[in-house]
Amino acid sequence: MASKINPKFSEELKKYGSVNFNACYNCGTCTAVCSLSTTDNSFPREMVRLSALGLESEIKKSLKPWECYYCGECTSNCPQTANPGELMMSLRRWLTAQYDWTGLSGLLYKSLIATILALSIVAVGVWYFAHSVGYETKTMLHTGHLFEMIAIGTVFLLIFVPNLLRMWYFTVVKNNAKAPIKHYFTALADLFVHMFTQKRSKDCDEKDNFRWMEHFVLVIAYLSLLFTTVFLNWFATESIFIILLGYVESFLVFLITVHFVSGRIQKSKSLNKFSQPSDWLFVIWLLLMGLTAFLVRLFIDLDILETNKWIYIIHLTVLAQWALIIVPFGKWSHFLYRSFAMYFAKINKSL
Amino acid sequence: MKERIGVYICHCGGNISDYVDVEKVRLAVENDEGVALARTTVFACSDSNQNDMVDDIKKYNLDGVIVASCSPKLHLVTFRNVTERGDLNKYTYVHTNIREQASWAHSDDKTGATEKAIRLVKAAIAKSRYAEPLYPNQFEAEKTIAVIGAGISGMKAAASLSDKNTNVILIEKENKVGGHVATWDSLIMSDEKGSELTNRIYTDLQKRKNVTILTNSEVISSKGSIGDFTLKIRKKAQQIGDPIETAEFKVGSVVVATGFDSYTPKEGEFGFSSYQNVITLPDFKHLIDSSSGKQLEYQGKKINNIAYIYCVGSRQSDGENTYCSRYCCTAVIHAANQAKKKFKNIYNFHFNRGIRTYGKQELLYAESLQQGDIYLQSFEDAPPQVYAENGKTKVKIKDILTKDKELEVEADLIVLVTGMVPRSDSSIGTILKLPKGRDKFFNEIHMKLRPVETVIDGITIAGTCQGPKNIMESVNSALSAAAKSYSYISKGILETEPIVANVDTDLCTWCEKCVEACPFDAIIQKEINGKLIAEINNSVCKGCGMCTPVCPPDAINLINYSSEEIMSMIDALA
Repeated sequence: MASKINPKFSEELKKYGSVNFNACYNCGTCTAVCSLSTTDNSFPREMVRLSALGLESEIKKSLKPWECYYCGECTSNCPQTANPGELMMSLRRWLTAQYDWTGLSGLLYKSLIATILALSIVAVGVWYFAHSVGYETKTMLHTGHLFEMIAIGTVFLLIFVPNLLRMWYFTVVKNNAKAPIKHYFTALADLFVHMFTQKRSKDCDEKDNFRWMEHFVLVIAYLSLLFTTVFLNWFATESIFIILLGYVESFLVFLITVHFVSGRIQKSKSLNKFSQPSDWLFVIWLLLMGLTAFLVRLFIDLDILETNKWIYIIHLTVLAQWALIIVPFGKWSHFLYRSFAMYFAKINKSL
Repeated sequence: MKERIGVYICHCGGNISDYVDVEKVRLAVENDEGVALARTTVFACSDSNQNDMVDDIKKYNLDGVIVASCSPKLHLVTFRNVTERGDLNKYTYVHTNIREQASWAHSDDKTGATEKAIRLVKAAIAKSRYAEPLYPNQFEAEKTIAVIGAGISGMKAAASLSDKNTNVILIEKENKVGGHVATWDSLIMSDEKGSELTNRIYTDLQKRKNVTILTNSEVISSKGSIGDFTLKIRKKAQQIGDPIETAEFKVGSVVVATGFDSYTPKEGEFGFSSYQNVITLPDFKHLIDSSSGKQLEYQGKKINNIAYIYCVGSRQSDGENTYCSRYCCTAVIHAANQAKKKFKNIYNFHFNRGIRTYGKQELLYAESLQQGDIYLQSFEDAPPQVYAENGKTKVKIKDILTKDKELEVEADLIVLVTGMVPRSDSSIGTILKLPKGRDKFFNEIHMKLRPVETVIDGITIAGTCQGPKNIMESVNSALSAAAKSYSYISKGILETEPIVANVDTDLCTWCEKCVEACPFDAIIQKEINGKLIAEINNSVCKGCGMCTPVCPPDAINLINYSSEEIMSMIDALA
């Protein structure tokens, strides 16, 4: 059965941030210079081609967009300035929207107005809550902590579990009917290695290990900050060790995200030349999370929180927006999809 | 009879002297009758030896020169010029080839090679004794040039010739000038209208006093040769009942610019004539040019998806047209871009075999990609297929750019990108005896070095009658052909080689055997004192010698190769 070409797909993909990929004349330079592409598993030209032809089902079952870590070599070397790197990036956004059963990811990626609206609703909700408890610090802190735990659990169960199952269905089940159960266990090691180290990113840009290192530190700092605030209850603890740990973690998150934001402002590399709202949102909110968490704990330690409650309300607003919008429907999800893509790829490969 | 002949025997480095004992050759001929001087030389063609030869001619008062060296194809002209520099008539020079014919042919037998070389040189001496001074034939050239075909090439050639103060007769078969170009609305790159372009040149031509434009006119016969052609032209009747007029024009040279036909697909070729919405590139061009409004329509149906199938009638490795028509990729991409700009919701799908928008035309391809046109590619052995399904015409292809994946498009319109073919009416070629290449277009003498000349002296070819070209290339070749045609007649006098056939009027009986043998139609009938004899047209004769052996009474001699000379050479060889 011949596949039907759909030229309108490129118009759709533009809304996800693709730039000029139609200019591609299929020379394959991008694939040749890519340090991750192999003979058996070659990209990005193939993805550019499938995108130009609008073969959505082919793209949907492909894991290749996740296997690219955007060093930008393809884009710098493209003779047609067709930006294959940015195409891969926009495909990741598009795939995120495909995996999301609620359809909210797609809506937020495509519409800045919807994003602003969603952020505003959450902010209003938080301020309404603060108002309804009479700005009582203890209640706010307690509820905030409770909210964090509930949000993590809910988002994970209601959004990520079904979305990851959908991703599995598209990329594993549809590709090769049945993979033996055994492989799901043997490939698990890959899942965790990639999730916590982004090992592949290290191979991506051979010249620049700093980028990988920076990202690695950010991931570890972010995850441990999450652990410190949620499970070690940083804002309520008396343990000096935990308090200091939280300071270090939130400071690192802040420091690295400042560097990321300034990179996007300066457009120093091809990977940050075409920032979409979702990219800005992700780094800026992460920065604000680190900053406000640090300040809240600082205010507690200086014993001035009671007179400066606003800082906690801001922190809670940022946190709620992060947990309810950016994590489930925004760029945060690449943390899971990237590592699961490597996991699924391993399962597919072992067949 | 030459009495003071100089003989030079060349080593050619070692090419000759390794196998032929050149000194022995020299000794064998130095005392022959008429030989005043015999030398050996390492390289006869070297500047220093050439200068020595000039000095020898003067110092020893030589009356004939022989060089025994390589093939005359290489250095006959060189040594004729040396002879001329020594103030001798250059036709008294005799060349003999002891490299290809002696040393290279008999490298296994040095004694034999030397013996053969001696005889060849002796034969040359025998011929040299009879060599007469000759002078080029001169005759007056008609200062009018005919240009056949008033398309863009013909008109530009005519204008260029007119600038040179030559009378020009521009002959057009149709009732109007401008050819194909006049029918195209927007042209590539400049986006000028074709008719604007041709009208501009036409208006300019009309103002020129030395240009005669004959429309509705056809060349029906041609007589004569370079400098002196007589073209008979028939003017088509304008109205039924009008008398058919014919006229004769004398011209010195002819520029042929008769253009091309568009390839017409065979019935069923990619659905041509099977489906109504399968059309050719010229049809599509006219559709885009003439349609207006926001929605493109063809035969009352809305057109949004357009499939273009490339190389139809071109690059057929098994078919008749093996060549690339070179203009079609650019032309169709330009038209597709126009369609996309002019109408809403146009989606273009290009089923190609590799895009050849060379040079600046690449910009059109880039533009097409930028606006989202989709290019699908296959090789000749797996062409795209056109078929109908549920009342829709579809095109499918195994796309080599997508791992041979089978892809299909539902096309509202299918454009067969047809190339250029030679004019189906090739009568002008027959009338002027123009040779055609394997592609059946008119053939030049040398594609790189003599690209507008034909083997028929005085006739040049311009534009697409020679092979597919775009407008720029056609005009280039037209200007080149005009310059070449003008150069034939520019001096007013033409010179041709003196080595031609010569008829002994007493012996000739007009048996017409020579007429049959002559490949150049150089022999004409003539009456002298009531007797019919053959006469050679010196301006047409190439001196090939085909007529001499077939003449029963031996009445024809080739100048410089008379029976006397040839017999004396054979005697010397035997």
